[in-house]
Amino acid sequence: MGRQKVHALDGVNLDIAPGSFTVIMGPSGSGKSTLLYLLGGLDRATSGQIWVNGKELEGLDENDLGIYRRKSVGFIFQSFNLIASMSALQNVIFPMRFAGIPRGERHKRAVRLLNQVGLGKRALHKPTELSGGQQQRVAVARALVNNPALILADEPTGNLDTTSSFAIMKILKELNEDGRTIVVVSHDARMRQFASHMVYILDGKIVSEAEYEEASSFEIPEDDTEE
Amino acid sequence: MRFWDLVSLIFENLSRRKGRVVLTAVGVVIGTAAVVLLVSLASGLQKSATSNLYGIDDLTKIEVYPNYGGGMYIEGPGGGSTDTMKQLTTSALQEIAAIDGVKEVIPKEYLMGGAAIRYGRLENYSSLMAVDTDDLANMGYKIDQGSTELRKGTAVVGSWVVQNFYDPSVRPGQEQPTPPTAEDLLNQKLRVVLTKWSSDGEEIQKTINLQVIGILQEGRNDGDGSIFIDFGELTTLNEWFNNGKRINRNKDGYNNVVVKAEDVDQVVAITERINELGFMAYSPQSMVEGINSYFIILQLVFGGIGAIALLVAAIGIANTMTMAILERTKEIGLMKAIGATNRDVLSIFLGEAAGIGFLGGLGGALLGWLGSKVINVVAMSFLASQAQSGGIPSGLNAVTPAWLLIFSIIFATLVGLLSGLYPALRAATLAPMMALKYE
Ligand SMILES: Nc1ncnc2c1ncn2[C@@H]1O[C@H](COP(=O)(O)OP(=O)(O)OP(=O)(O)O)[C@@H](O)[C@H]1O
Ligand SMILES: [Mg+2]
Repeated sequence: MGRQKVHALDGVNLDIAPGSFTVIMGPSGSGKSTLLYLLGGLDRATSGQIWVNGKELEGLDENDLGIYRRKSVGFIFQSFNLIASMSALQNVIFPMRFAGIPRGERHKRAVRLLNQVGLGKRALHKPTELSGGQQQRVAVARALVNNPALILADEPTGNLDTTSSFAIMKILKELNEDGRTIVVVSHDARMRQFASHMVYILDGKIVSEAEYEEASSFEIPEDDTEE
Repeated sequence: MRFWDLVSLIFENLSRRKGRVVLTAVGVVIGTAAVVLLVSLASGLQKSATSNLYGIDDLTKIEVYPNYGGGMYIEGPGGGSTDTMKQLTTSALQEIAAIDGVKEVIPKEYLMGGAAIRYGRLENYSSLMAVDTDDLANMGYKIDQGSTELRKGTAVVGSWVVQNFYDPSVRPGQEQPTPPTAEDLLNQKLRVVLTKWSSDGEEIQKTINLQVIGILQEGRNDGDGSIFIDFGELTTLNEWFNNGKRINRNKDGYNNVVVKAEDVDQVVAITERINELGFMAYSPQSMVEGINSYFIILQLVFGGIGAIALLVAAIGIANTMTMAILERTKEIGLMKAIGATNRDVLSIFLGEAAGIGFLGGLGGALLGWLGSKVINVVAMSFLASQAQSGGIPSGLNAVTPAWLLIFSIIFATLVGLLSGLYPALRAATLAPMMALKYE
């Protein structure tokens, strides 16, 4: 598309184990987001292969890719991407409308998840009436509604203050402990404490990779500053 | 995505941008209302035109007249006109009866001279007529009082004849007595005074008596102003006018015959066939069909004018949807990220465009329908004032059939759907990552 050919990713060979907590780090423009979008089926690689759970993503047509995103992946974005006209509850319900889940079930599940991220009392508020941290928790709840095995988060704490960031990290950690595979792109050094798998990217190449036996050596302090 | 989830999402999205949706739909409202109103007017005009047609009572009837040759036709090049005179002779009648689909061929005769009809002191100059059938009801004439079975010395009277009696002794300016009613006339005697002139200018009169055995209903046909008598009796009277010379049907033929078709659908073909045989055939049905095709064209032209308005509205919808996609690029990316397929996105945006068309169509159908009601009320009061000043009220009104309303709503929805096609395809095929990065 550009006048110059850019290889956002080049020669990346990465294995992500089920149930792992992978944190991808690297300078701006190194290709972290590109890698995440490729994993989530939001973008297609010009060459190479991505296998998820025995399925090759490049081989899926657009509709199947949509089904893959719906069933297997939960996305969390830096900028939350909530729909402004919908309440927190409606935002969480939104993906289930595409999935064809019946009304009553949708509502029950959304309420449960909002309670899980500690926003049960704010369910009927619009995004503009919520703080950044609260909005991101709504987004986390939304990512979970279809019960995906893979959670992809692109700098989920990038727009948040320290306290809110920490709350989100804690939720991600809990999700990982439930058995979900987490892949997080982050600039936040504290995220490292939760990782079972660290990946460093520079100019589209993996320059360093490390796996830890013990997923977390970091003791999460009890802080319930919000609500 | 389930159908009702899709529908509810579409209407939520539309209600999110009420102002713009309403403004866009106004174009559709105007277009649809124009279509409904203009087509209603055209079909109203059609209805009143055909219902005002003279002799429309029985559409299976064909009136056939002899062709006297020349005169009626423009002469061909070289001045050689085909001067063949085609009389409705007995053999001609057999020829006509042999045409496919002809049920009956019934001769009809008129009195070939002047006759004054007297009822007491009252007088009337209605024409005498006879049909060669046992029962006038066979010809589609409907009885109001009495019977339609004529014998010698009896008469069946058309509805207008009754009101046309006047007293010749009343001077201008003086009040005429009220004419008799149908009940008054039934079973009464009429005196018919025939007048002819001998070759040396002498006036010769003949008077016959007729008993009124029936009064016809108003049929908006030739029966209304006529007095029907027995066919043989009329022939005798015509022979009297003809100085006692016998009328030879094999040579002189009949004044007029009525051909009845088995089915309305065959009428036009039979009429053409009779004309090909060289006679002059006329059927109300061919006129009705001519008028109908004229009004179908009128409806198409009127509908076309409305459709142009809808086309402009379609451009408005396409524009609104294109703008919506620019504004909602990020939302489209998000929908895809959380599991919407391309098909879902396509359905949503197509549905929104169709929804604008549907809402506009609904409003337009309602507006057009109300508009035609208003036209009718205005036309009524106008015609009423005309009628007071002596005019004859013609039936100008707008007729809005239910199919027109349903069709126009469906049409407006389709217009919306079509104008949303390109924007919706663009939305559906947006690359999700690019859409998410879009600011
Ligand atoms: N659509 C695109 N067309 C061309 N180049 C692109 C496109 N998207 C990204 N790039 C390039 O690919 C490279 C990687 O981009 P990417 O967004 O993955 O970086 P990142 O590591 O997420 O950076 P940041 O930390 O700033 O978000 C960059 O050099 C970027 O300019
Ligand atoms: Mg990035």
